[in-house]
Amino acid sequence: MFKKKVTLKILLLLIASDILETAIHFLFKKSTLVFNQGQVTDLATMLVFLKVVFSSGFLWVGLLTVAAVFIIWSMVLSRIDLSVAVPIASFSYILVPVVSIIFLHERITALRWLGVFFVLAGVVFVSLSSKERTELAK
Amino acid sequence: MKQGLLVVLSLIALTSLCDTINQLLLKSTIDSLNFTPTLNIIKIFKFIFQLISQPRLWVGLVFSLISLCVWLVVLSKADLNFAFSADSMHYIFIALASRFVLKEKMGTRRWLGTGLIVVGIIFVSLS
Repeated sequence: MFKKKVTLKILLLLIASDILETAIHFLFKKSTLVFNQGQVTDLATMLVFLKVVFSSGFLWVGLLTVAAVFIIWSMVLSRIDLSVAVPIASFSYILVPVVSIIFLHERITALRWLGVFFVLAGVVFVSLSSKERTELAK
Repeated sequence: MKQGLLVVLSLIALTSLCDTINQLLLKSTIDSLNFTPTLNIIKIFKFIFQLISQPRLWVGLVFSLISLCVWLVVLSKADLNFAFSADSMHYIFIALASRFVLKEKMGTRRWLGTGLIVVGIIFVSLS
């Protein structure tokens, strides 16, 4: 059974999920910064770490955003195939590094940006293959 | 960071794997419900109610909870921009799972795209 192509409505839902997705990762990163008792090395420190992180407000706002993205994804996945839907939600590959630089003061080397663009190019190729899929169906 | 790179990459692989299992379960649950996208709130709630009564969805949620806990450990060890790009290894798992578990057809473009993602992750990890 072959599902419908990506419509404008689905595209808009995916763009909304991109922006929310970026917010989720930023909020999660913020929540882990609350923990300042060294590195997680084993299960015992992991439990202490999770206890601290799960009492952070950032994490819970992030989880609420996850719920919103989950609902959007449920609607999207009922219309198009998983291997087509996932790659289109790729704008966050640019958004996350930008947010990392501006709000987390992370540094990104030229090689890493190159890597990011390779990943993005890969994602675009996979998205383009939704046409190919229709050809395969014939 | 350098010394822990392998540990971080392994942890990212673990979250990606849990995510892929979750996505597969979600996809098969939704396929079984035959839902068509709508802005009708009542229909959406009815759909959500149908969804949460599926056991497969809950198994998927357990996997996403494990994935979340491991992901938080990853974020505590690595920069967000690195972790996020490296996490795209779930595309590789999802491509393989779509092909071999869901039996979706995969053309050359899609395989090529997946290959580019692999190269991208290598570059991101090297820097």
